[in-house]
Amino acid sequence: MATGIKVGAELEAPRKAIFRLTWKTLLLAIAALVVLLSVIRVITGANDITSGGTMNAAIGLAVPIAMAGLGGLWAERAGVVNIGLEGMMMLGTWFGAWAGVQFANPWAGVVAGLVGGAVGGLLHALATVTFGVDHIISGVAINILGLGVTQYLSKQIFTGMQGGGETQSPPIPGITKVSLPGIDGPLSSLEKQHIFLLSDLAGILRGLFVDVSLLTIVAILLIPLSFFVLWRTAFGLRLRSCGERPVAAESLGVNVYKYKYIAVVVSGAMAGLGGAFLSIVASGIYREGQTAGRGFIGLAAMIFGNWRPGGLAAGAALFGYTDALQLRGGGLSVHALLLVVVVLLVAVTVWQATRARVRPAAIAGVMAALVLVYYLVTDTIPQEFTQFTPHLVTLLVLSLAAQRLRMPAADGVIYRKGQTG
Amino acid sequence: MRRDKVAKLGLALMTSALLTISAAACGGGSNDAKTGASEGAAKGGGGAKVGLAYDIGGRGDQSFNDAAARGLDKAKSELKVEGKELEASPGETDAQKEERLRLLAQGGYNPIIGIGFAYSAPMTKVAKEFPNVKFAIVDDAGAQAPNISNLTFAEHEGSFLVGAAAALKSKKNSVGFVGGVKVPLIAKFEAGFLAGAKHVKKDIKTSVQYLTNPPDMTGFNDPAKGQVAAKGMIDGGADVVYHAAGGSGGGVFKAAKEGNAMAIGVDSDQALTADAAVKDVIITSMVKRVDVAVFDFLKSFTDNTVQAGEKVYDLKAGGVDYSTTGGKVDEIKAQLDELKQKIISGEIKVSAKTGA
Repeated sequence: MATGIKVGAELEAPRKAIFRLTWKTLLLAIAALVVLLSVIRVITGANDITSGGTMNAAIGLAVPIAMAGLGGLWAERAGVVNIGLEGMMMLGTWFGAWAGVQFANPWAGVVAGLVGGAVGGLLHALATVTFGVDHIISGVAINILGLGVTQYLSKQIFTGMQGGGETQSPPIPGITKVSLPGIDGPLSSLEKQHIFLLSDLAGILRGLFVDVSLLTIVAILLIPLSFFVLWRTAFGLRLRSCGERPVAAESLGVNVYKYKYIAVVVSGAMAGLGGAFLSIVASGIYREGQTAGRGFIGLAAMIFGNWRPGGLAAGAALFGYTDALQLRGGGLSVHALLLVVVVLLVAVTVWQATRARVRPAAIAGVMAALVLVYYLVTDTIPQEFTQFTPHLVTLLVLSLAAQRLRMPAADGVIYRKGQTG
Repeated sequence: MRRDKVAKLGLALMTSALLTISAAACGGGSNDAKTGASEGAAKGGGGAKVGLAYDIGGRGDQSFNDAAARGLDKAKSELKVEGKELEASPGETDAQKEERLRLLAQGGYNPIIGIGFAYSAPMTKVAKEFPNVKFAIVDDAGAQAPNISNLTFAEHEGSFLVGAAAALKSKKNSVGFVGGVKVPLIAKFEAGFLAGAKHVKKDIKTSVQYLTNPPDMTGFNDPAKGQVAAKGMIDGGADVVYHAAGGSGGGVFKAAKEGNAMAIGVDSDQALTADAAVKDVIITSMVKRVDVAVFDFLKSFTDNTVQAGEKVYDLKAGGVDYSTTGGKVDEIKAQLDELKQKIISGEIKVSAKTGA
């Protein structure tokens, strides 16, 4: 009883402080960011930071991470921590590649990737929900299993195929890429003139609407769809109640086990889709170990996004963007990004200062000064550091935002049916 | 309370990420060690039982490991040796590599060949335990013992030639290099490539990008990243991209194909081995004759003339070369061959280090 009151009280307090994110403020924030990037681009001459190529690459790199994050969201909203996303993703890459090659149809691969990931999810659900195994242990086991199973299957199946081997699949047929008709030419020429704001907008639009894989569109649509299902339907409310207070949900007649099962299987399917995207669209081939930790990064993106679809999309986009920048010839662009960091830190300083919070303001101010000094005394950033950029940015934002994060109350807690009585 | 939870979750996340990465290799080493009858060190002559330990990728990677496999296959048919092949998995530890070599040595395999610099420390250790077994390591000169032969290549010399080819073929006067992981070995490719390009065109624009830094070796296995990096260079004006990125190279070829650019393959003649859809963008490859080195070593073993220590397979020894499959470099072949002769004669010295 006591805890119930406490939870309620803690929930009330931040309500007043947090401003509600509306469409208007969101659009304003995006517009402000574009203007800021544009200003920085003009000052630094790092034209790649808003180019169409960067945006396109950023989306391609963000989608697998976002899908893994979405997988994490579904499971954790129902109270099951899913650290096995990486393993489920591996299953997705393998089955996606296999079916894509076997049936000479990439969409068969997409379906198989979904199913492969879902099987991993089912296993996780069986262990955690039915048998009450610790979520972390089951997840780690699935990661190891995912690798072992895919290695075994590759040896059995891909070695016999033309162009395949023990660690890679034959080339997978690609998925159609679509563009909004008639915009590529004009936008691309506008982009090349490097006009303030106009060229940046052209670059961003070109990245978003030219040569986009159909699967990318499907994947992006899954994010609002997940929001709708989880937050705007009775099904979603019940599912989330299992993650917040399964005992209460049970007392109201919700079949908690069933909802947890559904959530974790969907979670695996999402991770599997991310894997299938990686092998079919992003690489065109399966290679052992190609997930390279993206499942874990997806989980981090979800935490970054405060267990919300919009937030995790932002986290994945941020990661994809910084990764694209550094991979596309890093030094100069990432160096320019430092200036963005300076501006944002100064903004934080001013904001904290107006609220008379001296210490946070001072810390942000000093950091801004340090970054600015580093920016001024260097011309570029060594590659060893640029490769760390995505991780560093995520770490920074996480550490700044960690106080405000709220995970589902019963996340990771083992629940047994009838434990109330 | 809640913050604790978040922190705990974060900790759990990190721990299990680490666990997975280190446990990732468990699946790989479990190849069947069926030929159990250990008859100690079979000395010389035909019928030797060769143990071959591949690097990540293994037989079928259409590149580095496949070249080693060709050498073994040739030895199997010409020297009548038997072979046992084991392969490494991504993210495995040195202990697992040691175990693999030990498994081969205990199984009576002699000689034992480690493919790739990753076997350096494990081989140094295991070679001491089996002084009667001959070991050979490809791509590494660091592992020193009386029973280790180091088969290394002058990658910078071969890369110099394809660098020159790239500069000569480039219409936009801009070329790029994509490295898989920033390790000293791959830096040799970079150094040679840049030197070669600058040798034929002083003002050429070059760009260099590595996919990951050690200890993160995933850069050799991530075609998605290879494609993004190469596309970045092509968007930035490069029209010939050379890769030394193992399995990520497929992404480089894809980017070249989509960006109407040219690409240069590595290790094997990739115009023969790569995916049919992208073969036509590969103008040449820096061929590293791992097969020659492996075969030579096995031959010396059957002749009982194995020498410990480093043997460098350079241009002169035919250890590295450029390929002409597809006829895309025919018109500049004379120039390339002239450079090749100059390197062989010592008139051009190619440095193995960047910035020289």
